[in-house]
Amino acid sequence: MLTIQRVWRLQEKLIKLVGTECTKCGHVCYPPKAACPHCGSREVRKIHLPREGRVLSYTILNIPVEGFESKVPLILALVELGKARILTQLTDVEASEVYIGMPVEATIRKSPQMIEGATHYIIKFKPVDKERLKD
Amino acid sequence: MNKVYIVGVGMTKVGKFYDRSIRELAAEAIFKALDEAGNERPEAIIVGNMLSSLAEQENLASLIADYAGLRGISGFKVEGACGSGGVAFLAAYSLIASGIFKKVLVIGVEKLSERPTPATSRGLAWAADADYELVHGISFAGLNALVMRYYMNKYGVSREEMAAWPVLMHDNALQNPYAQLKKKITIEDVLKSPVIADPVRLYDASPLSDGAAAVLLASEELARKLSDTPIHVAGVGNALDSTDLTSRYELDRLLASKLSAEKAFQMAGVTTEDIDVAEIHDAYGVTAAISLEELGFAPRGKGAKLVYEGRFRVGDKPVVNPSGGLKARGHPVGATGIYQIVEVAMQLRGDFPGIKAGGEVGLTQNLGGVGANATTVILKR
Repeated sequence: MLTIQRVWRLQEKLIKLVGTECTKCGHVCYPPKAACPHCGSREVRKIHLPREGRVLSYTILNIPVEGFESKVPLILALVELGKARILTQLTDVEASEVYIGMPVEATIRKSPQMIEGATHYIIKFKPVDKERLKD
Repeated sequence: MNKVYIVGVGMTKVGKFYDRSIRELAAEAIFKALDEAGNERPEAIIVGNMLSSLAEQENLASLIADYAGLRGISGFKVEGACGSGGVAFLAAYSLIASGIFKKVLVIGVEKLSERPTPATSRGLAWAADADYELVHGISFAGLNALVMRYYMNKYGVSREEMAAWPVLMHDNALQNPYAQLKKKITIEDVLKSPVIADPVRLYDASPLSDGAAAVLLASEELARKLSDTPIHVAGVGNALDSTDLTSRYELDRLLASKLSAEKAFQMAGVTTEDIDVAEIHDAYGVTAAISLEELGFAPRGKGAKLVYEGRFRVGDKPVVNPSGGLKARGHPVGATGIYQIVEVAMQLRGDFPGIKAGGEVGLTQNLGGVGANATTVILKR
């Protein structure tokens, strides 16, 4: 089960989108790794991933896992953020409106999952504001 | 390295057995396997299992050994998610190849019917990255749906083409007395089945299953004494990819599938073209399609299309999943890798009680997670 200490431990990576970049070969990784999966070097540095990207693939869950029963259907996507990706919930969008290549941006929202009766916040992605794009 | 042989196999029917516990399922498979070798007592037991914690039971090796009358032998459990059976087999193989033991029993056992479906689904998703993937609510079906949509989009594979796999698996399982889903289905049935995780529908997915399968392995000097039809374990290969799907190099590839097969082929001195019969890890139809490609049975992007065109049935080379596969034989996750080895060993012996593929050289491939670990085994008559 998800615990308060796990959310606290992960907040930087999940909300500030901290990944790792290899200083030897340049490979970027999210989730972050202690060493580069591509060349094995331990000389990796923390980087902040871009907060805007595009939908690489998506799914709509009709059968929830335990803890997410309150949010059905749940739209989840793999979003390309520069050289890395994140698996994330899409919000502020109908399932029928999502498409591969859709531009999305990060936002901080309540998780559908409760921890010991408390809500917690997590990064989600929403369609890029069309009005702002016009500026 | 000492040569290793299969001298006994056993399995339970796959299904949902609310009236049977982990130890009872395990004992049935173990007794069948040992009896094939004259009830020979093994020196060690290796257990493959993923989710016995759903039934509040760990320490499986001692639990099962003791229940099956084997108190005092050596043993331990090995875990690699849905690939637990495969890695347990690798451990058991290594114990004989190294000369530490001469008779080792390997058993895969799983019981997924113990808890309500959301709890079991969460447990299965523990095979993904808990901190970065499960935290967003992804299920295992959801992870495979992400791969399936990407694969279909990239290679222009139609929904009908993807549906050919479950239809073939249900056809094959009709003749397998150990199979869980014994029901003929059509492409239309697949397309009308409920959407679990779009685009994955119910009939694209393997079912939740209970079951146990066991193999008794022996050294070369004992093999002929214990069996008239020993099957040679000619190659075993294992490889790891990322646990998370998120950081994979390519979403439509299964790196561990390819690397584990290369290692097993090299050890056995065979190639893709030599394989007569295979049991592969079709947890979802898209897993089968990509595995066929990584094993060299289909060109990139053509796995699902070749199935739709009628390949991999009896009379073809290779025959793939004559048991009905995970899709229809069922997928008792930590036991699946051992079921595959039992089935292919029986195919090579000529006594598999379902579709008979025949042949001299067989392959099994068991995956854990979305291909995060893979074990490929080459068997020879």
